[in-house]
Amino acid sequence: MPAKKKLILLPCSGVGKPFGTITREAAYQVAQEDRPECTQIVPLSLLVMGDADAKALLMDAEIISLDGCALACASKMAAESGAQVCAAFNAMDVYRAKRQYKPQGISSLNEAGQQLARLLAEQVDAAVDKLTEEGTQDARA
Amino acid sequence: MPEVFVFTIDKFSFRVPTDRLYSAEGLWALAKDGIIRTGLSDYLQQRSGDVAFVDVQPGGKRVRRGELLVSIETIKITSDLHSPLAGRIASVNPAMQRSPEDINRDPYGEGWVCELEPEDWEEARLSLMTPQAYFAYIQQDAAQELE
Repeated sequence: MPAKKKLILLPCSGVGKPFGTITREAAYQVAQEDRPECTQIVPLSLLVMGDADAKALLMDAEIISLDGCALACASKMAAESGAQVCAAFNAMDVYRAKRQYKPQGISSLNEAGQQLARLLAEQVDAAVDKLTEEGTQDARA
Repeated sequence: MPEVFVFTIDKFSFRVPTDRLYSAEGLWALAKDGIIRTGLSDYLQQRSGDVAFVDVQPGGKRVRRGELLVSIETIKITSDLHSPLAGRIASVNPAMQRSPEDINRDPYGEGWVCELEPEDWEEARLSLMTPQAYFAYIQQDAAQELE
């Protein structure tokens, strides 16, 4: 039986605002705690630098992008690399749905920011479950 | 399509369409059929960052020139913007609630904020900047910022 392919999580690499940090915290939550068996993080900065190994990982995987702002660098870099983005998230959308959580801090998020990261992680978890279920069904077909 | 002034500084490009007037704060005012449509200039939206929330004064309300018209919350700042004219708010762009990012995506088009029935347009327009004046103003402002 072939090894199950991992989903690649591609979070924002921005370090100027809390929203980039929220995407990374959410990615850590998914890849290290919630769904470690089927997800792996690829740092966006490696793609920006043209790292061959990182690009190769993307080419052979399904990507979940987690963007921190409207520039959507993670989604764009994945697309530019020729990879397949199966689900795209933006931390701003999570905030828009939960205005009471005003994120602050970059290296260290405040409680509201951490809450947004957890909410984003839950959405990514659901996408991972859906994609892996679809993959299982495809394999059975 | 109106002529558009464009200037680039550092990695940023800013557009100023010539078919409307501008307040120093960065709101534009476009007159059409007796109604004044307003929104944020490209320069203001880029300086402000991604818009998360927009709170516009309610439709039907009368505002004085210089009175609070709209508050925006972006990933960088929360900012109050003031009416460039006196009048009644005839309509608020419904997109401001469901997709405030339209301000960033299309500040002069789908990202318009509200429309006013003017009460003092002839007077108010004299207090606003022409596109040429606003273009010069933001060039100077951006250059000072870089220094």
